[in-house]
Amino acid sequence: MTTSSLPPSVIATLPGGYYTHENIFALEQARIFESMWFCVVRAADLAKPGAFRTVQVGRESVLVTRARDQSIRAFLNVCRHRGARIKTEESGEVRRAFQCPYHAWTYDLEGKLIAAPNLTKMPDIDRVEYGLVNVHVREWLGYVWVCLADEPEPFEEEVQGQVVSRLGDLDSIHNYGIESLEVARRIVYDVKANWKLIIENFMECYHCATIHPELVEVLPEFAEGLATQLYVGHGAEFGEGVEGFTVDGSPGADRIPGVSETQDRRYYGLTVRPLMFINLVPDHVVIHRIFPLAADHTVLECDWLFRADVVRSGRDLEPSIELFHRVNVQDFEACERCQPAMNSRAYARGGVLVPTEHHIAGFHEWVLDRLGTGQLGTGQPT
Amino acid sequence: MIPACPLAALPRGEAFRLDAVEPPIAVFHTDDGELYAVDDTCTHQDASLADGWLEGCEVECPLHASRFDLRTGQVDAPPAKLPVRTHGVVVEEGTVYVVPSGEAA
Ligand code: FES
Ligand code: FES
Ligand SMILES: [Fe+2]
Repeated sequence: MTTSSLPPSVIATLPGGYYTHENIFALEQARIFESMWFCVVRAADLAKPGAFRTVQVGRESVLVTRARDQSIRAFLNVCRHRGARIKTEESGEVRRAFQCPYHAWTYDLEGKLIAAPNLTKMPDIDRVEYGLVNVHVREWLGYVWVCLADEPEPFEEEVQGQVVSRLGDLDSIHNYGIESLEVARRIVYDVKANWKLIIENFMECYHCATIHPELVEVLPEFAEGLATQLYVGHGAEFGEGVEGFTVDGSPGADRIPGVSETQDRRYYGLTVRPLMFINLVPDHVVIHRIFPLAADHTVLECDWLFRADVVRSGRDLEPSIELFHRVNVQDFEACERCQPAMNSRAYARGGVLVPTEHHIAGFHEWVLDRLGTGQLGTGQPT
Repeated sequence: MIPACPLAALPRGEAFRLDAVEPPIAVFHTDDGELYAVDDTCTHQDASLADGWLEGCEVECPLHASRFDLRTGQVDAPPAKLPVRTHGVVVEEGTVYVVPSGEAA
């Protein structure tokens, strides 16, 4: 590809094949999703010992649960006997143990093998060694991250470091007390688009004035198309006369107590690589967890979190929820509109990034760097 | 009378599997402080009841959840259908002994 021939205003995107090829997606699974800290579940969804969720992390199904000591544990969802899936349900609760439905190998909530037919006749089977395979777990902001790498990067650098570089410090996010907020609504979006299209879309606001009329009413500076994420510590200010981050500008819910004066009446959006968005407004937080399932298929779980007393008051939160729900639908429709064209001859060499999108090139470099396929132009999938 | 383990090594809620005898015997120390011994092997498949779940005077098989009454050996519900044998337990000088059924204390 001849990037040198582009006019100076624009920068090349990734070639279309990066959004469709199975070999690229397989590399992304191995070198990104299975190598980095991956935000998988809201800790409060695992309310008590034995409650579990299964989630797709790269090529692996991961079983996340709460053990007797209340700590969160995560395992590869694979029986150590002959490889049956331990749990096929998305969520549920076991009373005391995980039992494989095939030959009944039985594991406790810490993953240790505790019983199996004829097990006492095989005293050489070590019950920890033949327990479920543990993966690394961290809890932060009331969410659970897992890392499938043998030796994860420090969470502080890989995850928290991204928040610091966007907001300036960790206090700015801790102000929102996200771990003590409650999920008022969760919407799961099934999107027929490559995960990178979804990340790139979230990173730019060039499309805002065209596809997000309601959002731009609330945040007029978005009409200029500048990505707020570009400026450290910057949040987009609510428009004059806008009373809250709602679909109609009506007042939102009660403000989260820790939110500072400088954070009031502002929206902050953060991309936390590889697969999470955090949106902060004074009275609520919207968090997207992103699960790439195939090169052209991504599922997003989006949580709307408010103060616990607000959620319990039964107050109508619809105008607040509706705003970002519309933004989501508008964004994901745009991504689904692009996905089929990624295979087109017209997009074989990709498209272009205009100046307000130039920072997306940083995302592309990061992807290429993780994949180890070399610089753009030399690493084209064939 | 067969020595099983020191009483101190068998806290309440725990079980000890005595495999010096054939078939092996499981000794349970209930939450109420009682000691019971029954055949360790479930009568359904080969599962160790010592690995099961002790609740009150019952142990639930870890594999398919049939429950055995430790006092009588009776099973509550399938898939196991036959009772397990019960045995005597004696504590002497801090050691737990099992008296297999049919043997005089
Ligand atoms: S495959 Fe799980 S018990 Fe056999
Ligand atoms: S092995 Fe005990 S109930 Fe099946
Ligand atoms: Fe958007």
